[in-house]
Amino acid sequence: MKNKKEIIITENVEKSFGNFQALKGITATVKESEVVVVFGPSGSGKSTYIRTLNRLESHDSGRIIIDGVELNDDVKNLEKVRSNVGMVFQSFNLFPHLSILGNITLAPRKVKRMKKKEADDLAMGLLERVGIPEQAEKFPTQLSGGQQQRVAIARALAMQPKIMLFDEPTSALDPEMIKEVLDVMRELADSGMTMICVTHEMGFAREVADRFLFFDQGLLIEEGSPDHFFSNPKEDRTKLFLSQIL
Amino acid sequence: MRLINEITRDGFFWIKENLFQSYLNSLMTLLIVVFIGYLFLDFLGFLINADWTVVEVNRRLLLLGRLPLGNEIRGWLILWFSMILISSSIGIWGSPNIKDFLIIFIISLVIFFIFGTLNSIYHILITYLISFSPYFFSKYFLRKKYFELSKRVLIFSWILIIPIFIIILLIGNGPKPNLWGGFLLNIILASVAIVAGFPLGLILGLGRASSFPVIKIASTFYIEVIRGAPLVAWLLLAWFVLPTFLPNLFGLNEVSIVVRAMIVLSIFASAYIAEVIRGGLQSIPKGQLEAADALGLSTIDSTFNIILPQAIRVVIPALVSTFIAMFKDTSLVFILALTDLLQVGRLIPEQEPEFFGRQLEALLVVAFLFWVVSISLSNLSSRLEKAMGIGVR
Ligand SMILES: Nc1ncnc2c1ncn2[C@@H]1O[C@H](COP(=O)(O)OP(=O)(O)OP(=O)(O)O)[C@@H](O)[C@H]1O
Ligand SMILES: [Mg+2]
Repeated sequence: MKNKKEIIITENVEKSFGNFQALKGITATVKESEVVVVFGPSGSGKSTYIRTLNRLESHDSGRIIIDGVELNDDVKNLEKVRSNVGMVFQSFNLFPHLSILGNITLAPRKVKRMKKKEADDLAMGLLERVGIPEQAEKFPTQLSGGQQQRVAIARALAMQPKIMLFDEPTSALDPEMIKEVLDVMRELADSGMTMICVTHEMGFAREVADRFLFFDQGLLIEEGSPDHFFSNPKEDRTKLFLSQIL
Repeated sequence: MRLINEITRDGFFWIKENLFQSYLNSLMTLLIVVFIGYLFLDFLGFLINADWTVVEVNRRLLLLGRLPLGNEIRGWLILWFSMILISSSIGIWGSPNIKDFLIIFIISLVIFFIFGTLNSIYHILITYLISFSPYFFSKYFLRKKYFELSKRVLIFSWILIIPIFIIILLIGNGPKPNLWGGFLLNIILASVAIVAGFPLGLILGLGRASSFPVIKIASTFYIEVIRGAPLVAWLLLAWFVLPTFLPNLFGLNEVSIVVRAMIVLSIFASAYIAEVIRGGLQSIPKGQLEAADALGLSTIDSTFNIILPQAIRVVIPALVSTFIAMFKDTSLVFILALTDLLQVGRLIPEQEPEFFGRQLEALLVVAFLFWVVSISLSNLSSRLEKAMGIGVR
């Protein structure tokens, strides 16, 4: 792990909405193949932070460098970063007018100009990987929440990203479907994908994560290994929050 | 037998439950039945006493206006071409049920009775043949491997339908556009307004929803100005004001009244279509665009592959309402001294002494023709909705 390269570098990233400052200077790095779990109270800026990493939110100041490419107003850079970073949302955000296959193949075909046949094969392979190849011809509304989220993961993977961002991927799911999504994510982590994951599934997080980041009120309060957090967290705010959720 | 018993029993039950479940309700039901019955008898009395010669003698005027003699074939060609497109489209995409066929049959029978006398009976027969054979051909005899190809050809022909109409009307020393008239004129004007107004409206709707201030303000300005005045005012403007205000740069003075009407109607339609589209755009959740952005899709790709298909599906009913309204609004071109269907229907009984007092017959037929097209459009709308229904939120 030590000599892996730093694939995500954020230095002093700040972001305000109007006069509310959501991120108050976040400095953190993620190495290749690392799995990082971000957690913290509601409104602490977790979503905002990971959304700055593919510029769904543009940061006001500081620097963000993804796989050697700096995120700024340069559109070329943005294209490069977005093709390297996949994202999975809490509310799936599948395209309801496209079939499952259509959802997965759209970006490879439009962005990478892949042939239909090739894209279809790629999509079927990914559907196998997330365990629902038999749903390929259906439409998103015909699938359960857990299946939809797995399709969303396959859709992001179809662009062959180096980094995957997850924003509370299981929060909108019924309890019995959480496991199937976490299983896919676990497999992904084992395969060596670099992942940043906002989640409150602490059991899963402890098992999969290399590192935890604890956010509160727009600040990165504490970071460290899962064991560090579960045995002796330093900050009072961390202790308080952990005692509330565990 | 048991089935019939059951149906009648259920029928009685339904009537009792829905129409007579209280005194007040029963009273209302009776009153309405009496009222409808009265209207119906009255109408029946009119139909029996009606004299349809006014329509029979003037059917050519009603359909084609003052199109010079010898040019009827152009009208027939347009009808045949449209029928081929419509019926093969139904054969390939639609699955019309018995009810639809019955309606089509009854409507065409009525048209037959109104317009079909001996000298054109061959045309009517050919029309029937042309109308129904592509349906059966495309449904039962078309080989699988030509299916995709035929779809493409059909879509292409639909896109080109306006130019084809106009070519049919103009080719080989055709009559001047100012002589187009009657129902033909309504159809041509409405098709042009819809086909030209739709893409323009799409661009304007996107423009008004855009985040570029200049584009947004320009689109908003256009839409609000056009919607701010009645269509009649714009038509008058096109007639009187345009030629005097603008220098005669583009030969505008010579541009025929019909073409000016087409331009005005398209511009007018586009403003309304733009607002309908914008409503659809607003109904798309923010997450859709975020997902597209996160996948690295360009603005153009996500607009055309993700946002617009969903937005248009949502607004199909409103869109078709706009189309129907535009179709009926084409009758306002009488302002420009054009004789569309309504104008013909209105003028004949006034100008020809032998038909004094026959307004009602003429206008009824006019209304019927407008109704046929409107009802077909709204039928198409519900079909489209159903066809696209799969996968909706
Ligand atoms: N587009 C926006 N406009 C205004 N304020 C925003 C916007 N997005 C986020 N915020 C605010 O920024 C703060 C941080 O939001 P963020 O979504 O990052 O929190 P979070 O840690 O993900 O919370 P949760 O656990 O509820 O998802 C919140 O107070 C939120 O109200
Ligand atoms: Mg959040």
